Amino acid sequence: MIYIKNLLKNLGDFSLEDINLDVQDGEYFVLLGPTGAGKSVLIECIAGLHKPEKGEIWINGRNATGLTPEEREVSYVPQDYALFPFLSVKENIEFGMKIKKYSKFEINQGLKKMVNLLEIENITHRNPSTLSGGESQRVAVARALAVKPKLLLLDEPLSALDPRTKQALWIELKRIHRELKVTTIHVTHNFEEAISLGDRIAVMNEGKIVQIGTPGEIFRKPKSMFVAEFVGADNLFKGICTSKIEDETSRVSINGVSMDVFAAAKKDGECYVSIRPEDIVLSKEICKCYADMNMLKGKITEILDKGILIKVVVDAGIQLSVLLTRRACLEKELSKGDSVYVIFKAMDVHLF
Amino acid sequence: MFKGIFGERVFKAATLATLIFFVLFFTGIIISIIFYTNPGEVLKILFSAEVLFAIKLSLITATITAVISIIIGIPAAYAISKTEFRGKSVVDTILDLPIVVSPIALGAALLVFFNTPAGIAIEEHGIKFVFVVSGIILAQFTVVSALFIRLMKSSFDSINPRYEDVARTLGCSKFQAFFKVTLPLAKNGIISAGILTWARAIGEFGATVTLAGATAMKTETLPIAIFLSLATADVEKAMTVILILVCIAMIALIAIRKAVGRGWLI
Repeated sequence: MIYIKNLLKNLGDFSLEDINLDVQDGEYFVLLGPTGAGKSVLIECIAGLHKPEKGEIWINGRNATGLTPEEREVSYVPQDYALFPFLSVKENIEFGMKIKKYSKFEINQGLKKMVNLLEIENITHRNPSTLSGGESQRVAVARALAVKPKLLLLDEPLSALDPRTKQALWIELKRIHRELKVTTIHVTHNFEEAISLGDRIAVMNEGKIVQIGTPGEIFRKPKSMFVAEFVGADNLFKGICTSKIEDETSRVSINGVSMDVFAAAKKDGECYVSIRPEDIVLSKEICKCYADMNMLKGKITEILDKGILIKVVVDAGIQLSVLLTRRACLEKELSKGDSVYVIFKAMDVHLF
Repeated sequence: MFKGIFGERVFKAATLATLIFFVLFFTGIIISIIFYTNPGEVLKILFSAEVLFAIKLSLITATITAVISIIIGIPAAYAISKTEFRGKSVVDTILDLPIVVSPIALGAALLVFFNTPAGIAIEEHGIKFVFVVSGIILAQFTVVSALFIRLMKSSFDSINPRYEDVARTLGCSKFQAFFKVTLPLAKNGIISAGILTWARAIGEFGATVTLAGATAMKTETLPIAIFLSLATADVEKAMTVILILVCIAMIALIAIRKAVGRGWLI
């Protein structure tokens, strides 16, 4: 569907380098990265708003590299929505259909469909300047989808919204995508947004794609320190692979603390490990430990209320963060200064 | 210096005092003209053939000048605002020259140009400019068009390029995006810049007198009527024409405020 090969775009002090990307038909693809990573520039290149210096962009089996934006059949929703202020909501949605010379009947049908799909029946007569952030967002998406694009590009569509509206629109975007199955590339710097929306995610940093994978892969198996930190891996350590115990299990030493790590690919010498805080169990009593389990003894140094979850920090030679439900925390009667056993599976330790 | 609330008050008083001085200065000048003239005489002069001619000529030439400035100025201003090219800063400086250079110098330059072979050829085979009405329009255009471009440039600068980007992805060609999105967005800017350009053209004197001359009932615009009246020591007439010019200026300024105040751009 979308195929990007060796794309290079130089913008003076910033450049996109060696971008290779393959987005499947009907896929909801998320470009994730910090501000200044080049996500917006990349989708602007796909939309035809920037001409790349090198590389190719293929859309729907057609080489679109030299095509102007209007020839690409790609709709684009910028971060600030850019609703035309001199047109009403209805006229905004009709704009593209009129430009593309749809018949009156088609325009009416298209408008009706979009208005129903995005549930904006009550605001069609209004001027964009009177709309709330969430409403503007819906209108911008309606306007973009009304021209039946082959590809929908969303640039940080939710970043300007308050948390509640944002949550509601996550679900909306997912539903709309399910109904229309239009291939979508969504740019965000918010990891939760990426994980809950994306079929696949590409993580970008400093103009490069650093990892592409399903949300699960990005979340559990970050390939670099940058991705691990960006996806909020709390327990991230630099260690040394000391010995290989079995075929697929290695031992890693971090500041003198040893743990077993399940890793198909063998690593020697310096390495990084990460353990998701929710994959760790705390126990006040010593447990019967299986071969594929790690158990470390430590002391609770901090208990932080995170709302739904409680974060417990344990010093076990290394600082480990553990996420527990409020209930689990109460049942175990954990408090600061308590001695606890930190238990996690060798399989839950990600080595890279 | 002057700390605390006392300092704040002194600062406010000092800045307001200069503002009041300024306003009094200008209203004083205008009121002195009103006192100097006698209403009966003003009406008589106002409806004299010469003054009516000057009003008509000024309105027609300034309107043509404003229209030409708008037609040429909008694409030029768009280019300098939205297009990147080499030597842009040089072009930008050249655009400022007609605003900064004295109009009489521009008029003299035009007069010299029409004495060069190219200028003579235009005069002989094209349109005559020297000492005729078309010269007034050319002189006004030379002085005010750059002002229009400057004003339009800032208007285009303030338009978020995202609007055009989105229009392009919705199927607009570059031309369609310009006509269907950028121009409507710049509408208020065009109206106010157009009115200001028109008003400046009405008041233009230096270049006009140099290129088109000051011939009564021929190339006599309102400012030239003032000049001719003062030259013949007809102060009453000069004052009447000044009042007309002040009225036109007031109407133009009110129109701009209305146009901009209603809108969403500036």
